[in-house]
Amino acid sequence: MPCPLGKRNRLNPGFRAWGSRMGVVLALLATGLALACLCPQFLSVANLTNVVRQVAINGILAVGVTLVLLTGGVDLSLGSVVALSGVVAAHLAHPGEYPLAVPVLAGVLAGAACGGLNGLVVTRGRVPPFIATLGMMTAARGVALVLSGGRPVSNMGPALTRLAGDWARVPVPALVLAAVALGAAWMLRNTRQGRYLYAVGGNEQAARAAGIGVRGVKFLAYALCGALAGLAGVVLAARITTGQPNAGVAYELDPIAAVVIGGTSLAGGVGGVGGTLLGVLLMGVIGNGLDLLNVSSYYQQIVKGLIIVGAVWFDRQRRSVERE
Amino acid sequence: MILAAKEVSKAFGGAQALRGVSFELAAGEVHALMGENGAGKSTLVKILAGLHAPDAGEVLVRGRPVRLRGPHEALRNGIAMIHQELMPVPGLSVAENLLLGREPRGRLPGTVDRRALRREAVRLLGLLDADLPVDAPMGTLSVAGMQTVEIARALGAAAAAVIMDEPTAALSGREVAALFRVIAALKARGVGIIYITHKMDEVFRVADRITVLRDGCLVRTAPAGELDESRLIALMVGRELSGWRHLATQRPRADAGEPLLVVRGLSRGGAFRDVSFEIRRGEVVGLAGLMGAGRSEVAAALFGLAPAEAGEIRVRGAAVRVRRPSDAMRLGIGMVTEDRRGYGLVPQMAVWQNITLAALPQLCPGPLLRRTAERAAAGEAAARYGIKADGAGQAVRLLSGGNQQKVVIARTLLAQPEIVILDEPTRGIDIGAKAEVHALIAALAAQGRAVLLISSEMPELLRLSDRLLVMRQGGLVAELDPLTVTQEEVLSYAMPVRKA
Amino acid sequence: MDMACDGRGRALRRCRAAAASVLTAALGAAVALTLSGGCGRREGTADARPVVGVSLLNVANEFIVTIEQAMRARAEELGVRLIVVDGQRSPERQVQQVETFIAQKVGAIILNPCEVEASSPAVEKARAAGVPLVNVNSETQAAPTAFVGSRDEEAARLGMTYIARRLGGTGGVLMMEGYLGQAAQLKRSAGAREVLAQHPGLKLLAAQSAEWDRAKAVTLMENWLQAYGASVRAVFAQNDEMALGALLAVERAGRKNDIVVVGVDAIGDALQAVRDGRLDATVFQDGRGQGRGAVETALRLIRKEPVARETYIPFQLVTRENAETFGRN
Repeated sequence: MPCPLGKRNRLNPGFRAWGSRMGVVLALLATGLALACLCPQFLSVANLTNVVRQVAINGILAVGVTLVLLTGGVDLSLGSVVALSGVVAAHLAHPGEYPLAVPVLAGVLAGAACGGLNGLVVTRGRVPPFIATLGMMTAARGVALVLSGGRPVSNMGPALTRLAGDWARVPVPALVLAAVALGAAWMLRNTRQGRYLYAVGGNEQAARAAGIGVRGVKFLAYALCGALAGLAGVVLAARITTGQPNAGVAYELDPIAAVVIGGTSLAGGVGGVGGTLLGVLLMGVIGNGLDLLNVSSYYQQIVKGLIIVGAVWFDRQRRSVERE
Repeated sequence: MILAAKEVSKAFGGAQALRGVSFELAAGEVHALMGENGAGKSTLVKILAGLHAPDAGEVLVRGRPVRLRGPHEALRNGIAMIHQELMPVPGLSVAENLLLGREPRGRLPGTVDRRALRREAVRLLGLLDADLPVDAPMGTLSVAGMQTVEIARALGAAAAAVIMDEPTAALSGREVAALFRVIAALKARGVGIIYITHKMDEVFRVADRITVLRDGCLVRTAPAGELDESRLIALMVGRELSGWRHLATQRPRADAGEPLLVVRGLSRGGAFRDVSFEIRRGEVVGLAGLMGAGRSEVAAALFGLAPAEAGEIRVRGAAVRVRRPSDAMRLGIGMVTEDRRGYGLVPQMAVWQNITLAALPQLCPGPLLRRTAERAAAGEAAARYGIKADGAGQAVRLLSGGNQQKVVIARTLLAQPEIVILDEPTRGIDIGAKAEVHALIAALAAQGRAVLLISSEMPELLRLSDRLLVMRQGGLVAELDPLTVTQEEVLSYAMPVRKA
Repeated sequence: MDMACDGRGRALRRCRAAAASVLTAALGAAVALTLSGGCGRREGTADARPVVGVSLLNVANEFIVTIEQAMRARAEELGVRLIVVDGQRSPERQVQQVETFIAQKVGAIILNPCEVEASSPAVEKARAAGVPLVNVNSETQAAPTAFVGSRDEEAARLGMTYIARRLGGTGGVLMMEGYLGQAAQLKRSAGAREVLAQHPGLKLLAAQSAEWDRAKAVTLMENWLQAYGASVRAVFAQNDEMALGALLAVERAGRKNDIVVVGVDAIGDALQAVRDGRLDATVFQDGRGQGRGAVETALRLIRKEPVARETYIPFQLVTRENAETFGRN
C-alpha cells in the first residue's frame, strides 16, 4: 500500500481535539442532563448566560496555559499575574483619567512582562518551568502588594467595569474568551510558530535538529500565556470593580485541570484549544450546578475532584482501548 | 513444541498486519523471523509476548491454548521478550535490575534480602558465562551488557522461550560474538529463541530454522540449511533483487568537483580531536570506525547539535560558525541522525507534518502555513522515498522502523541541503528499504551534492563510498580507497591500539 | 570559527557559571538589605527599647493591614520596637516565626493566629520559653498570656439582627461563609444561626463558602439568584469582601431594591459603599483599637505589670445614618 498522502484530509491536531474528546463531551452532556432534571433553573437563558460569564476568566487563563503545556512546560504563576495585572489596570482606571484602552493594555502588558520573564528564565537560565514559574508566583504577588499597599485599588470608572457587563445580552467576558480561543486555535493551526509549539513539545531534540529555534518558541508560549493571564486579570478586576492584590489565589490550578481534562498532554505535543474549552465548560457547569443544588461547600470540593480525575481517566481508558 | 501461534490475524485501524499466520518454536532451537519492515514480524512477536491480543487465531504454550493479557502473564507462561529499546533503571545496580519485581524477601515484611539478591544475580549471570559487575549501576554498562542482563532476567523468570527483536542493532563486533555465546548457552539449556534481524550474515550464523513473512502473510518456514542469502532475499522481497549488492561500483565515479566542506583541526573535549578532511561536490565520503570512535560526535559537531570547541569549518570556501542546527541548515548542511527517537521524529505528529518540519521556512515564507503547498511537497517526498503509511495524517510513531527512517531522510532532503550527513541511515531497516536508501545516496552524489556517510556495516561503506576515512579513539587514522581495500584492512585500522 | 585552544570554551562556561551564582547571591543580599531598611545599623547602636515580635495572619488582607498600622503607630508612641512578619495564612509558618522570635530574645510576642488549632503550637512554644504572648483579633486553642480582640459571634449577631429588623422578621436569607474551619467563620456562623433561631420567620435558604473572596462571591451570588430567585430577601456575608461581591451580582441582576446586603469588618470600600447607599450595613470591627490594645498589653507584660487576660473591643453596626462617623478605616 503505497502512501496515498492527502487521501484522508485529517485536521491539524489543534482542532482534531474536538472530535476525539469524547470523554469530556459525554461528561459535559451527562452533567448537563442531570442538572436539567434536578433543577429547572439550570437551562434558563439567564443561568446559561451566567455560566459563560463565570467560565470566562478560567477560560482565558486555560487558553494561555494550553500553549505552555503544549511545549511540555507549565505555568504556576497565573494566579499572581492575574492579581498584579488587575491592580495595574485598576490604578489606571479611575473615572475620567484615561481612555479604556490604557488600563486594558497596561494590564495585558504587565502580564506579558511576567510571562516573558518566565520564558527568559526557562530558556536562557535553563531553570525548570515548575521552579521558574513558582518563583514568579511569589514575586508577582509581592509586586501586586507593593503597588497596592496591600489594599484593594477601588474607585474604578464605569468604562472598565463595562468590560464585565453585557453587550447585546451576551456577557462581554464570554466574548473576550471567544475571541481569545479563536485567535489561539487559528494560530496553532495556521502559523509556523503554532506548528513549532507542537514540535517542541512532542520532541524537543528533534525540533532542534530540524532547525527550529526552540528557545524562541518556548519564550513565545510563556509570553502569550502571561499576556492572557494579564487580560484575565483585567476582566477579573472589571468583574469585582477593584484591583485586589490578594485576588486569584490558586487560580493556576483550575486552568491546568481544564486543559488536561480537554486532552492536552502534560508531557507536551498533544492537544489543543478546542478540548481546553470543553474542559473549562465542564468545570464551570459543575460549579454552577453544585451551587444551584445547594450542595455543601465541603462536598463540592469532593465532587469537583472526582469529576476532574474521572473525566481524564475515562478518556485515557477509551484511548488505550482504541490503540489496542 | 513450547510456543506456537495458530492462524493468528491482527488489524490496526484499517491496516491488516497479520493474516492467518501459523508459527512454531521448538525447545532448544533458534528460529529466525525474517521479512521487510511492515511484514508483520513485530506484530507476531508482540502477540506471542502478550502485548497485543490477536483478532483471530490462538496462542499455544506447550500445546495448550492460552490468553495472554500482558507481558506479565506471558512471563508467567515462560515467555520473555528482550526489547529493541531496552528499559533498565539506570540508577539501580545490575543485581537490582536483574531481579526487579522478584526481589528475595527479607525477614521483615517489605524488606529485601540484599545478600540473597546478590547471590541470585551472580548465579544467573554465571549461567550465561557473563562477566558483569553485579554491584555497578546499570547505567554504566554497555548496550551489550544491558542486553545480557535482560536475557539473564528472562532466565531468572524461568523463561522457556525468549524473543529477541534485533538484538545486535546497537552492538559492536565483539559484543555480537559475546551475544552469540549467550545464545548458545540458552540453547544448551533447552530454551527456544525467536530471533528477529535484518542482517543476513547473522541469520545464517545462529538460526536453525527461518520463517519468512511478507505483507502480513506467512511465505515459508524452512530449515536454515535449505536456504541461502539470495533465495532468502527473494522470499522476503517477493522478487529477485538482481545486482543490488553492486550498486556503488556501477555508479559512475564523480570527477572530483570543488570542495564543498572543509574541516581543519576540529576538536571537542574527550569526543574527538584534530579531525581534518574535505568533501567535494559529487563525492560520497565514508566514515568507518567502531562504536565510540567519535564518528557520530564529529557529525553532531558539523550539524551544530554539539558544537566543536576548536578548529575550523569551511563551507564553499568560507569559514563558518555552526553553533546550532539552524546555522547548519542555513549553510546548506542537512543531517539524518542516528537516533530516530531522540533527534529524529516528533512521534505524535502526522507523517506529513514530520516530513515538512525542517523545510517550513522554505515552503511557507512568512509566518503563515501554506497547507496546500506543504501537503503537495510531503506527498511528493513520500512517493519518492516510498513511505508506506495509512494516510498521511497517521501519527508517525505508528509507522514501522524503516518507514520512520524514510520520513527522517525525506525531511532532511526536503530542505535541499548541498551537504548531506547520514549517520547510520540503514540501521534497523529491512533489505528492500536498504537498497532504496543505497540508490538514494548514489543519486545524491550524482546530483552534485557532498555526502558524508557513517555506517557500522562495512559492506555498505565499501559499496557506496568514493573515499573511506577511518576513525579510532577520537582521531582520524587513515584514508583508504574502498575499491582496493578489504574489510579486514579497514578493521585493522579501526581496532584500538593497546599501549604497552 | 577559530579558537586558540580547546580548553577555552569550557573554562569560559565554568567562569560564567561561577559569576552567575555570585551574582545571584549578591543580588538577593542587596534586595534583602534595601528592603529591611538597614536593621544591622540599629542593632549596632545598642537599641535599648523593648522589642515585640509580631506575626500577622496575612498582610494582603486589608483589615489586618489596619491592625498592623495601628500597632506601628502605637509602638512609636510608646517607644517599642516592633519586628513584624507575615504568616501568609500558613499556621506552620507562624510556628517557625514564633520560634525565631524566641531565638531573637524578644520581650513579648503578638500573634494574629491563622487557625484555632493549627496555630496553637506557636502559643505553646512561647509559653515553654517563658516569653509572654498576646493573641490579637482571633483565638487559638492553647491559652495565650492575654487576648485582645473582639467576639466574632457578636459581629454576626449584630449583622443578622439588623437583617431581621429590616425584613420585619420574615423572608429568605442567604449566608456567605468564610474559609471553612477558620475561627472567624465558625464563630460568625454560630452567632448568625443564634439570631436565626430566635426569628422563626427568617428562612436560611443556603449557606455556602465563598472563601472570603470577592470574585468567588460574585459567582456564588449569581448562581444563588438563579436558584432562589424572588425568595431571596437578604444576604449576610461574613466579611465585607464577600458582601461587596454579592452586592455587585445583586446590582447587576437589578435586585438591589428588594435584597438587603450586609457585611462585616467595615473595610474602606465597604464604608464607602454604605455611604453611597449601596451596601445596607456592615459591622465595624475596631482594628485600630485591637492593634493599639495589643501593643499596650504586650508592653505591660514586658514591664511585668498586671493585665486583663481578655480585652474585648466592642463592635458597632454601621449603616447609612452613622457611616460618616467612621473614618476610612
